[in-house]
Amino acid sequence: MPKILIPTPLRQYVEKQDSVEIDGATVGELLDKLSGAYPDLRRHLFSDEGKLRSFVNIYVNDEDIRYLGREATAVQPADTISIVPSVAGGASAALSHEEILRYSRHLIMPEVGMDGQLKLKQAKVLLIGAGGLGSPLALYLAAAGVGRIGLVDFDVVDVTNLQRQIIHGTSDVGRKKLDSAAEAMLEINPNIQVDRHETALSSENALHILRDYDVIVDGTDNFPTRYLVNDACVLLGKPNVYGSIFRFEGQATVFAYPGGPCYRCLYAEPPPPGLVPSCAEGGVLGILPGLIGTVQATETVKLILGIGQPLVGRLLLYDALSMRIRELKLRRDPECPVCGDHPTIRELIDYHQFCGVTPEEAGPTEWDIEAPDVKTRMDRGDRFVLVDVREPHEYQICRLPNSRLIPLGDLPKRVNELDTAEEIIAHCRSGVRSAKAIDFLRKAGFRKLRNLRGGILAWSDKVDPRVPKY
Amino acid sequence: MIKIDKPAWETMLDHARRTYPSECCGAMLGRVEATGKAVSLAIPLENAYQGCQRERYELRPEDLLWADRQARERQLDLVGIYHSHPDCAAYFSETDLKNSCPWYSFIVLSIRRGEFDHATSWLPNVEQTQADPEELIHPAQEQQCQKS
Repeated sequence: MPKILIPTPLRQYVEKQDSVEIDGATVGELLDKLSGAYPDLRRHLFSDEGKLRSFVNIYVNDEDIRYLGREATAVQPADTISIVPSVAGGASAALSHEEILRYSRHLIMPEVGMDGQLKLKQAKVLLIGAGGLGSPLALYLAAAGVGRIGLVDFDVVDVTNLQRQIIHGTSDVGRKKLDSAAEAMLEINPNIQVDRHETALSSENALHILRDYDVIVDGTDNFPTRYLVNDACVLLGKPNVYGSIFRFEGQATVFAYPGGPCYRCLYAEPPPPGLVPSCAEGGVLGILPGLIGTVQATETVKLILGIGQPLVGRLLLYDALSMRIRELKLRRDPECPVCGDHPTIRELIDYHQFCGVTPEEAGPTEWDIEAPDVKTRMDRGDRFVLVDVREPHEYQICRLPNSRLIPLGDLPKRVNELDTAEEIIAHCRSGVRSAKAIDFLRKAGFRKLRNLRGGILAWSDKVDPRVPKY
Repeated sequence: MIKIDKPAWETMLDHARRTYPSECCGAMLGRVEATGKAVSLAIPLENAYQGCQRERYELRPEDLLWADRQARERQLDLVGIYHSHPDCAAYFSETDLKNSCPWYSFIVLSIRRGEFDHATSWLPNVEQTQADPEELIHPAQEQQCQKS
């Protein structure tokens, strides 16, 4: 019978034999019977389409079947069939003439040069979030020639994004951020590959997604994802280029760099839920993510090139109003539960639980009242006090009819302006702050309370579109 | 993990220095043990790439078939392929990946100005889309002052 010699690494799929004897008239028949008898072997030899894989050559004795009859090549009982790999390669990630011209301002600096530009081309960077920070990051890293850039996002472009998320344009509103961003990046540099991960990063998928990349860049705006990215980076040993923004201030540093601190060394515990407002709640100067994002992009490129002093063990603090940049020293905490000397966290945990937030929007509570019901009661002439707990500058943007402005922060000292006998309906922009106001008033002894669910946003959607959303 | 014996390592380095500034390539024979692969013999093979060999190599399948027969005769296994990157880092390039074979360790030797600089080992996947770094132990590590 013809004998098929099995290469060492494939012997595990054929019961550790170094050769297998199979009867058959042609090479095709032999391979078919072989992978029929040993199904695990099949995917190593054949692609999903059933074709021999590109790196597989078949020899009958000393002849390559490509020069005989390919898989129809006849075999004799005394023949020996060999499975021979096809191997080639070389340093040439080779920049094309177009790329050499494109990157010429990099190439003429000795710190980058051909070596460095090839490192950039070989590099794989994952950007978590294609929003404020993600915009400059994606644009500049694409332009710099980072060969493979992954994006993680599941959002669509909203009008309120355009004030700062410069990778998206007005005509992109309603499109997936991934598509809009990838298109802009490839328009700048068609030589790169953009991987689109349309998902919310989670404890289930994070290690799988991050594993393929060399550098992870955190452009997220919430605590659960921040801790998740941090822990995943520490567990995988990948640097985490961190940035965060709020109102006029931003921070940046590199976490999880060998020997350096991680996010947990800086903040062991998340703040109580609701204490630190998000950009959606507190606002952000549109230019701010431009500056912090480009700091992150710079650090990413430095890490890839291995040049300069990385922003490790230093937290950069930027204040746009005073136009000052300060630095805080950070140290790795030997007691850190993830990157310390005796780590207690060795796998990803439930980060929503850790941060005390529920991922889903909270359902209606007994205090809630829907916007159209408030309108009905207004029209009916019911007696109630409508309290707007937003800030005065928000009150200037828009207001509901006959509302009384008492900002949430002033409520404790102005609570005597309200009467427990009267029904009070509180509202804010989205319903979050007014829920806190209701909570406060309830503890202060008020009982006839209602929270306008969804706030101004719901009012604009369901009652009166002339009230602008912001 | 893959560990290279001194004689095999010297054969590889000597080969890489000799072919500089062109790339060299060859086969590594040894044994697969529970702890990893142990390379005891390196077989220099001809770079068959038709074109500029400063940044490309190609192995003839016949040569690999011959190397595999050498292995069988010596009761060894063909465990890996090595090649050099003259004057650049020992990364696993897109070209390396697209022409790789998932059955073997791929050792890349960085040769700068004709002298050994550093080395890496890689394990490509079957789809040729990804290569994971493999721990590499070689005799030059003790005297080497690691450059990043």
